[in-house]
Amino acid sequence: MIQLKDIVVRFGDFTALHNINVQVNEGEFFTFLGPSGCGKTTTLRTLTGFISPAEGRVFVRGKDITDVPIEKRNIGIVFQSYALFPTMTVYDNIAFGLKIKKLKKPELDQKVRTIAKKVDLSDEQLAKAVSQLSGGQQQRVAIARALVTEPDIICLDEPLSNLDAKLRVQLREELKKMQREFGITSIYVTHDQEEALTLSDRIAVFNKGVIEQIGTPNDIYNHSATEFVCNFIGDINRLSGPVVQMLIDSGASLDPNWHHYIRLERVHVNETVRPGAVAIPGKVVSREYYGLYIKYYIDLGSQTIKVMERNDGVHIYDPGETVRANIDPADLMSYEPAGEEAQP
Amino acid sequence: MNGKLGPKPFDSTRIIRLIGGLLFAYLFLGFMLLPCLDTLTSIFSTKDASGKTDPFAVIRFFLAGNMGKYVLNSLKLAVLLVLTVNIIGISIVLLTEYFDIKGARILRLGYMTTMIYSGVALVTGYMFLYAGDGILTTALKDAFPEFSPKWFSGFNAVLFTMTFACTSNHMLFLRNAIRGIDYNTVEAARNMGASPFKVLFKVVFPTLLPTLFSLTVMVFITGLCAMSAPTLLGYDSINPEIVRLAGSSSADEAFPQARAALLSIILAAFTIVLLTVLSRYERKGHYLSVSKTKAKLQKQKITNPVANVLAHIYAYILFIIYMTPVVMIVVFSFRSWESVKSRSLSNGGWTLLNYFGTQDYQYQASSGKMKVREGAITGVFSNKDTLGGIQTSFLLSVIAAALACVIVVIACNYIFKHKGKKRGTALEYALLFPWLLPTILICYSYRIFFNSNDVWYVFGQNLYYEDRVRILIIIAYMVVKLPFSLRMIKASFYAIDEELEDAAKNLGAGPLKTFIRVKLPIILPSVLAVFALNFNALFTEYDMSATFNSAHGRTYAMIIQSMVQDEGMSYTNLNASGRRCASTVFIMIVSGLILYLVYGVGARDLSERLVSREKRKRIAAKLKGVFRKGETGA
Repeated sequence: MIQLKDIVVRFGDFTALHNINVQVNEGEFFTFLGPSGCGKTTTLRTLTGFISPAEGRVFVRGKDITDVPIEKRNIGIVFQSYALFPTMTVYDNIAFGLKIKKLKKPELDQKVRTIAKKVDLSDEQLAKAVSQLSGGQQQRVAIARALVTEPDIICLDEPLSNLDAKLRVQLREELKKMQREFGITSIYVTHDQEEALTLSDRIAVFNKGVIEQIGTPNDIYNHSATEFVCNFIGDINRLSGPVVQMLIDSGASLDPNWHHYIRLERVHVNETVRPGAVAIPGKVVSREYYGLYIKYYIDLGSQTIKVMERNDGVHIYDPGETVRANIDPADLMSYEPAGEEAQP
Repeated sequence: MNGKLGPKPFDSTRIIRLIGGLLFAYLFLGFMLLPCLDTLTSIFSTKDASGKTDPFAVIRFFLAGNMGKYVLNSLKLAVLLVLTVNIIGISIVLLTEYFDIKGARILRLGYMTTMIYSGVALVTGYMFLYAGDGILTTALKDAFPEFSPKWFSGFNAVLFTMTFACTSNHMLFLRNAIRGIDYNTVEAARNMGASPFKVLFKVVFPTLLPTLFSLTVMVFITGLCAMSAPTLLGYDSINPEIVRLAGSSSADEAFPQARAALLSIILAAFTIVLLTVLSRYERKGHYLSVSKTKAKLQKQKITNPVANVLAHIYAYILFIIYMTPVVMIVVFSFRSWESVKSRSLSNGGWTLLNYFGTQDYQYQASSGKMKVREGAITGVFSNKDTLGGIQTSFLLSVIAAALACVIVVIACNYIFKHKGKKRGTALEYALLFPWLLPTILICYSYRIFFNSNDVWYVFGQNLYYEDRVRILIIIAYMVVKLPFSLRMIKASFYAIDEELEDAAKNLGAGPLKTFIRVKLPIILPSVLAVFALNFNALFTEYDMSATFNSAHGRTYAMIIQSMVQDEGMSYTNLNASGRRCASTVFIMIVSGLILYLVYGVGARDLSERLVSREKRKRIAAKLKGVFRKGETGA
């Protein structure tokens, strides 16, 4: 459906995107994920036509759209700020694109009301000014405005970043539901890994203008292709030399010069040691109570590791208590150090 | 291609930009730079008696001490004005916003009266009270025959009038600054043992200093460039002297034009230095509250009973000074000719004659016979001259205010599209250029430079000749208002989220449609506000009117001035004082209305407008219901 081929974008002497290659399938929810300044929005703006690439081509359904003007690409955008026109009512905001296309009033009206219904906006809300709506309602208006012109693709540029945590989670679910209903190919830009993991069919992780990995949320989380991805997605423990040595001494086949990581939930406290796993003695330094989970900080002598345990209400360990941290070497993600980096 | 999409070499947008660029260059070079440069060079083109050019004649004339008094007088006025305006300005803001003074709301209204009448209207208003034939002076003269009727003239009168006239900015800006103080800082200081006055001097004042500094510079420049008060109250300062010299000829005195030019340039030099100091200071930044949960300032009780009583007395004395001219003018605007002429409420009765209609004038001729001059006593809207002045000022002000807004809106759109680029910055500085120059320099330069048939870029037309002077006034009004319009309208452009433009583009709108449908509605309230404020300032503007004053360019301000100067002379300007009162009331109404429209109605956003529309609908529906009930009942 969408293909970004060998895209390079430069701003003066600075190269923002280095040889970006992405292929997005029809109806897919695809996310560009990465920290600020990594090039995800630049890639999106290249796709939507606001930025022209120095090298490379953009294809949609096999058609080269690299030189097609923005308004003729048929791509809907939901902006980070929603970019709702403050001097227009909700109705006029949604109708804006249709008025530009010079649709006749009855058809325009029917389209606006249909899309408004689909995104759960009432007739009363249509008559309001956008400033009279809540953040969630404003987001729906932005989506309706982007979808009413029946685009081939919808691009969402960090649409949840301006909202509070609770509303963000609520709207995340609504967004996914809407995308499934409309079945439209969606490109989503975010720096929030949780958002990316919960919403996406596939994710491209960006770093310093290059794509580090493209894959499903499971691939990205459990089989991070690079050390950057492994560190960027979720919380993780990097094991120190003595701990790695203990694992090697217990028969694990690990290169001591590589960097070895383990996710918090893969370390288990005081559990019966599984075959292949190693029990390392330690002491609980502190704990953080999350309700469903409890996070422990356990001193293993050479380092303090973080462990996320399910809260069963029975096995709760107090600071100072001696415990065993069970680590299975099969759960480790290992990376060869880049360049001449010293071992920790 | 690198980064952003750029226009094609010869598309329509580029051609429009090129034409726009040429028009701006024409405006800047032709109506800002060249006339002022001509003034500068005219200083060095004086000729001696033999007709030989003597470039430093006027400088020698100045150094010999022949012109120094005007500069020194202006400086004296500016320095003392800084002192008096700050004392009164800070007092009225503290009394209404910081200290708990009973009746603060009413006091505030009184202190704000200078916002609805200023300049020549205010000066003539004060004269109506305090001048030789003023109400107060007449009353004092009746009570104390020895009392000098000329007590209100010269420097003291100018300083007194301008002190109260110039506190409007304190009421606007210092009031906002004091309201922006985080009350938690006051509470923290009190908690640490500071007395209320220590808090005022150690916590409150330091945060107000940047605003006070800006206000001080503004007051200093106002004092230096004072025009209406010195002219009407008789004080030899720079601006009135420039206007006098501009109208003089070398047959009457030594090189008047060069002297006027030198005074203008001296004024410009002071202004440039002061504005540079101000902008350097502003660049250092203001004290911003770092509080995340800012608390609203609560009024401070003056705990010492003696201090409290004294503060109340001081507040109400100031209130009386502010309000008396306003009340007297309003009252006398509804009094008959006899009452106004005698400055007494015991003569004559109440009338609307000062506004509308005419009255016959009966007088005894030298032969002893009683004669009647039909319709000689006239009101503001029935006097041909006054009405003509109002019409001229209205027309010139509307055109100039609108032109300034249109030019600045187009320029701002360009500046924001080229943010951080040299051409955007150059355009911005070009439009701010008139801010560096005193109004009088621009007007004087226009009067001299365009009073010729040799200026090719205005097609060899003498713009100071007959009706064309109106074009010159419009251009001068517009040019002088460009910097203010730019500062205000540019601020409104910051409110436009850049993503709005992208969104409109994405939905298929071209640059023109995006501008008209998306950007313009956002900035429109600010543009209309700037238009209204520009109009308000120009409608009764005095300095420029005085410079361009001629039979074809007689503005409202000049008519108001004539109501003071010609009154009672040969019975030719009968009821001038009545019309003056009515005129001032008319100006107060116009200004008040404009301020209400700008800050009341204009500040509402779409949601507020929709809410009030709903309210109106509900009221209409209710009324309909009542009406129908009445019909059925009948």
